Formats: sequence, structure tokens, C-alpha cells
Amino acid sequence: MASQEILSKKPLHVLEKIKENLEKLNEKMEVMIELQKHGKKDITPPLTDTPLDVMTLLSMPDHLRKTAMTVCRLGRATADEIAQQTHRARAVESAYLNQLVIMGYLKKERKGRKAYFYVERESQG
Amino acid sequence: MGKIMAVHSYKGGTGKTLLSINLAAALAKTGKKVCLFDLDFRAPSLATLLKVKNPNCWLNDYLNGSCEIEKALVDISERIGNSGKLCVALANPNTEAIREMSSKDRKWEMRALGRLLALRNLISNTGNFDYLVFDTSPGLQYSSINAIVAADLVVVATTFDRSDMEGTQRMLRELYDLFEKKTYLVLNKVLENPTRHKSDLQATVKDFYQVPLLGVVPCYCDILKAEGSTIFAQDKPDHPFTRMLNALAAEIEKNIA
Repeated sequence: MASQEILSKKPLHVLEKIKENLEKLNEKMEVMIELQKHGKKDITPPLTDTPLDVMTLLSMPDHLRKTAMTVCRLGRATADEIAQQTHRARAVESAYLNQLVIMGYLKKERKGRKAYFYVERESQG
Repeated sequence: MGKIMAVHSYKGGTGKTLLSINLAAALAKTGKKVCLFDLDFRAPSLATLLKVKNPNCWLNDYLNGSCEIEKALVDISERIGNSGKLCVALANPNTEAIREMSSKDRKWEMRALGRLLALRNLISNTGNFDYLVFDTSPGLQYSSINAIVAADLVVVATTFDRSDMEGTQRMLRELYDLFEKKTYLVLNKVLENPTRHKSDLQATVKDFYQVPLLGVVPCYCDILKAEGSTIFAQDKPDHPFTRMLNALAAEIEKNIA
């Protein structure tokens, strides 16, 4: 009964929420799929506080390097914007970006329904 | 939107700095707005070669985050006859500064990469320049790899020296390929060989390095005689070296347009 009330009040808002949650779920699924595809060794978080510098970029697997380099170049970007540069599917970039977040190389910030990825440079060291 | 070009090589003494200065000058003489950056912090040379003393800020200060890039730019347009615009940003040649720059840690290098990438503002649609030319340190060091990553295209200077050839080949395969950089090769200090055809050389180079050849620069004694103090594009506009560099600049323009 209570949920029906909410629905009648703000059906659009509820639908938005559901969509947002589904998107978050989707991202997690993408990461899991990628994890299985590449094996866990690729995305073990760094033991020390390794920064995303050129040496780190060099030691990365090719598929992640491409994504990480594009974020470096754009400074701050959504999976969509990265996909436009790399000519790969948005879902693929989203998975790689989230891997890089797990690895500690990128930061992620949500603004409304958009997720932005960036390299945290200034606050370190 | 302008372009960033890095000039790099595997070994020292391949002519990076001479190529950088004269390519920048050649581009500026065609009316382009060009800024030349000395990113060879271990052995700075542009301050001496271009006789610029005490700029407001060194490039070191910009990378350290202690000054804006505009303060590090020195306008030397009048040296090339005011046809275009030529600015330089200089590495600090003082021993203390060199020592300081060679003891930076990885986090500093990461921030330096961020600052090099931010130089893109200078060539954005509202920016002031058409080309940024990065003169780098030889070999695989942080500052050079940062410069390569930040650039749109890289011109690699190489000679027929055996160790240079092999090192360059390895570097192109194991470093440049990973970063998927648009790369061109300049064969420098080539001795005249009347029996060798240009097209043969082109094919040989392409086959060995797997990278397109931008140009072949003969070895000129005049360059040695000038003892580094001459911008050929400015002082000797009709010298074959200058004409060669003009051709290289035109080729770069054609390839990246």
C-alpha cells in the first residue's frame, strides 16, 4: 500500500532510481565478466601506493593501457567519452575503467546519472 | 587545434636539439605560431644555444607547480624575422637544478605528466600556438617518456651508428608501440653515397624500423663549424641543411594536417 502511494506520487522518480540501480548493477557485472576474461592477476590492487605514471602505464596489460592513457589525456571523462576516443564499446570501456578504479589508479565520481573517471594528481605526495 | 611534437632519440648526440630548434624555426618561418620546450633537464642546452638569460620562470618551475606556463615563455620571434611566432621555455642549466630534477619521485613524475598534458591548452582553439615542439633527453627516462605520452606525434632522430640503430629499433617496438604513438624517423648525419637510391633507403628504413621515414639529413661540416650557435633557419636560409629542414617541416604539416 505504502509503495503504491509512492508510485502514484512520483512514478518517474522511482523509475529513474530503478534505472540508476540497474546501471550500477550492470557496471558491477561488467567488472565481474572482465575479471573472468582476463584472470585475477591483471587487476590485483597495487601493494604500495603506486601512482599512475608512465612506468605504470608501460607495465599494464594492453587493453587497460589504452583506457588509462585516454583518461590521462582527457583528464576527466565518462565511459562514453572514452569509448569515442578508443573506438571500443561503451560497456567495454566501463568495465576497464572500473577495473582501473579497483586497482587504485583512477578515481570515480558520480554526478547525477553520470560517472566521471579521473586521475587524482594533486592531493597525492 | 594545434599539435604537440616531441623530438626524441635512443642515444645522445643524434641531433635532437639541432633538429628541434630548426624545425621549430622552419615552422615559424611559414607563419606558424610555435613554442619550443627544452625537456632535457639532465643536460639543458637551449638556454645556452639561444642565448636567453634569466627567464622569469624556468620550465622546471612550471613542472614543480610554482609558476604559470606563460611566465616561462620567452618570445624570440624577432630572431626569425617576425614571419611567425617563436617562443621558448627553458630548462634550468644550473647544476643544482639538474641535480634537483634528477632526484624526483614517481608521484612527482605523474604530476609532471599532468602538467605536460595541460600544455594542450596552449594549442586549443583559443590557445596561442599552432605547434609545441618538445626537445627531450635521449633514451628511456621519465622526462622523455612523459614527453612522448603527452605528444601527438614523435620525431625520432637516429644515425647509422650500429648501437643507435639497434637501440632505436628496440625502443620503437617496446615503448612506442605500447603507447600507439604516431612516429616518424629522421635519419641524421648521413654520409653522401652516390650509389644509394633514396627509394632504396626509404624501403630499408621502413623494413628495419617499421616506422615511416620523414627525411634523410646529410652530414654537414658547416653544422660542426657553427659550434651550435646558429639557428640555420635564421642565419643561413639558403644552406642545404635549412632547405632540408624546411622540407621536413612541410612534410610534418602535410602528415598531421
